[in-house]
Amino acid sequence: MTLKLLLHRIGPAFYIPLIFIAGPVAAHAQEAVDFFRGNCTSCHTIGGGRLTGPDLKDVTQRKDRAWLVQFLQSPQAMIDKGDPYALKLKDEARDVVMPNINGMSPALAELLLTMIEAESKLPKSQFAGLQISDRPFTQQDIELGKAIFMGDKRLANGGPPCVTCHTFNGAGGFGGGRLGPDLSRAFERLQGRKAMGAWLYAPATPTMSLTFSKKALKAEEILPLLALFENTARSGAEDDRTGLAGFFATGFVVAVLCLTLFAFIWKARFRAVRDPLVELSARKVLGGRS
Amino acid sequence: MDVRAQMSMVFHLDKCIGCHTCSIACKNIWTDRKGTEYMWWNNVETKPGTGYPTAWEDQEKYHGGWVVEDGNLHLRSTSKTQTVFNIFHNPHQPSMDDYYEPWTYDYQHLFNAPEGPDQPTAVPISMVTGDLIQIKAGPNWDDDMGGSPVYAENDPNLAQLNPEQRAQMFAVQRLMFFYLPRICNHCLNPACVASCPSGALHKRGEDGIVLVDQKRCRGWRACIAACPYKKMYYNWQTGKSEKCILCYPRLETGQAPACFHSCVGRIRYLGVVLYDADRIREVAGLPQDELIEAQRSLILNPNDPAVIAAARQNGVHDSVVESAQKSPTYRFVKDWKIALPLHAEYRTLPMLFYVPPMAPVMAQKTGTTVDNISEDLFHDIDDARAPIEYMASMFGAGNAGKVRYALRKQKAVRWYRRAVTVGDVDMATAERMLREADCSPAEAEAIYKLTSLCTFDDRFVIPPMHREQAVEMLEDPLAHKQGVGFGFMESPRRGL
Ligand code: SF4
Ligand code: SF4
Repeated sequence: MTLKLLLHRIGPAFYIPLIFIAGPVAAHAQEAVDFFRGNCTSCHTIGGGRLTGPDLKDVTQRKDRAWLVQFLQSPQAMIDKGDPYALKLKDEARDVVMPNINGMSPALAELLLTMIEAESKLPKSQFAGLQISDRPFTQQDIELGKAIFMGDKRLANGGPPCVTCHTFNGAGGFGGGRLGPDLSRAFERLQGRKAMGAWLYAPATPTMSLTFSKKALKAEEILPLLALFENTARSGAEDDRTGLAGFFATGFVVAVLCLTLFAFIWKARFRAVRDPLVELSARKVLGGRS
Repeated sequence: MDVRAQMSMVFHLDKCIGCHTCSIACKNIWTDRKGTEYMWWNNVETKPGTGYPTAWEDQEKYHGGWVVEDGNLHLRSTSKTQTVFNIFHNPHQPSMDDYYEPWTYDYQHLFNAPEGPDQPTAVPISMVTGDLIQIKAGPNWDDDMGGSPVYAENDPNLAQLNPEQRAQMFAVQRLMFFYLPRICNHCLNPACVASCPSGALHKRGEDGIVLVDQKRCRGWRACIAACPYKKMYYNWQTGKSEKCILCYPRLETGQAPACFHSCVGRIRYLGVVLYDADRIREVAGLPQDELIEAQRSLILNPNDPAVIAAARQNGVHDSVVESAQKSPTYRFVKDWKIALPLHAEYRTLPMLFYVPPMAPVMAQKTGTTVDNISEDLFHDIDDARAPIEYMASMFGAGNAGKVRYALRKQKAVRWYRRAVTVGDVDMATAERMLREADCSPAEAEAIYKLTSLCTFDDRFVIPPMHREQAVEMLEDPLAHKQGVGFGFMESPRRGL
């Protein structure tokens, strides 16, 4: 009797429990993938080379699982303990320390490592990173990047344009929004083309990830943005302060103009009666004397 | 014809001695509370002068009263739309400086001061801030033309005079002034009532007294700008407006208002008049030179059977009609036509009328002596020290004829009485003057009596106020019949 026949014969009484056993496993795998996408991809790839953090392909072969699970719980603690491998990682990452990840439990760490192991075996992992072309940036890229940043060119997936929350030196006018950090030197901070590209593809801060998890930037949008940020960083621009100063200066001037206008429009408004009378006659008396 | 009753007043300016007793009587009863120190529901001004608040007659500044625009009456200060935009900021309010900062003196210091080389003094203390102040002005700062280069010369009524007349008025040998006591006019077309966004102001149906409902007033202050006589006041303590209430609690108990009662010069008369409420809108919108006559025509003859019937039909009690028949106001305003409204051109139809004062004889300086120009004690009206135009600006809505009529009649009465009592005036001349002044000897006698020999009861003819009837409109008088005692205004917080 084949299994198939058996299933048919005995019916649901058998396979319903099977679903219950298999279901959670499948769910767990998906959970690890989602978690990785949401929290790790901005610094790591699997087989795509290092970004800020190392490439995680075959990481389970480089170090034992127990160590990895422990490291994932709290990277900083490992470094503080003086663990040599952890210190080496820190060195390689040019002193950027992996943050503590919210919700990271030993069970989840295990799950992630299993997932990474499985992905490492694939010829091309889904986390090989965003493939952004290596071609040198052109002037057009920079122009396009600016258009995307300023919102002149809409983002394909409908995300809000960068300028709503960010500014950079050269944004013109009053600069952009001040909710997020100034991006003039972000290219350096995020360690260059590849890392920043990955960051843009899956931003890791709570505000950014909330906004862009469902409306991710596209590779052809990221490239021009990188060109723009590379350009501003290279030109040695400091953070943009002129926009802020201009904003306050303009506000001040407009306020003064409005008040002057009001004073003019309502110049016949009621102010006082008695005082002017007294002043007038005082002036008459003094004028007569001199 | 919509006949209603109105408490109406006459102030005989020829009799006012400027003693301010009236103001003090009012202050002691009504405006001695915190927030009301600066208010003078009754005040007495010297004319020429700017009065209280300073230059209140200058509606270019204060924007009070009504104006006629394309045949319609409009408040000068506001409109329904403007009320919305200005609800939190009502412009054209007199400032505290335009009234004056009320003050008292630090009398305690006189008793507590440490011993020193000189006598202690009592320094002035602001009643608003409690701080030491430099007194800059008061409610009668320009009394008897004090500070006239500042105040008297800026009297808005002088605008009617030509520069020559103006200069003459302040020449020493022509100098004259008189007093103008003022209270709320309890107008027939009150600007204050019309301007109130909260509907807190109302004119009492039974006697026309204009009152502020203190519970309803929200302190928007629209009334303060709207009243052209600046007889609405803002209480900065309660945040509500207050005004003269014509001592209605006194009236309801048959007594004259405090300022009337206490008046030393006995210049004040009070009585009820019947008027036709249907014609208020029409009359208030007439051209300026018709206003005085038209306002007079609003007041109805209380002896006319048709008027009596209409009054009765409108719920005016017979006793009120009887009182109107004896009203001194009616005689001054309607019979004799010698009492005129103050600034009728503000179109609020004020119900306080003034008998314009006779100005002293004109004088002339020859060499070092000052002589009277006229040999007659009762000189010609148009040669009076106060130009007739000046009087007309106040009492004639610019119409000198009405003022001249009133002054001539007064003068004729004086001549006539002089002929009767002293005899140094020819009776024939006196009678001719009476004829010319549109006055009979009997009328002259009556004017003389009511002016000079008036008793309390002649001056104040107060009708029974019939509060019991008025109250029935608002409450059921039998509501508390089965209750215990007199009941409570506010229900008690305990018991069952
Ligand atoms: S005098 Fe002023 S406050 Fe009095 S009723 Fe007239 S408008 Fe109102
Ligand atoms: S009490 Fe009479 S006489 Fe004295 S100021 Fe007042 S109105 Fe004039």
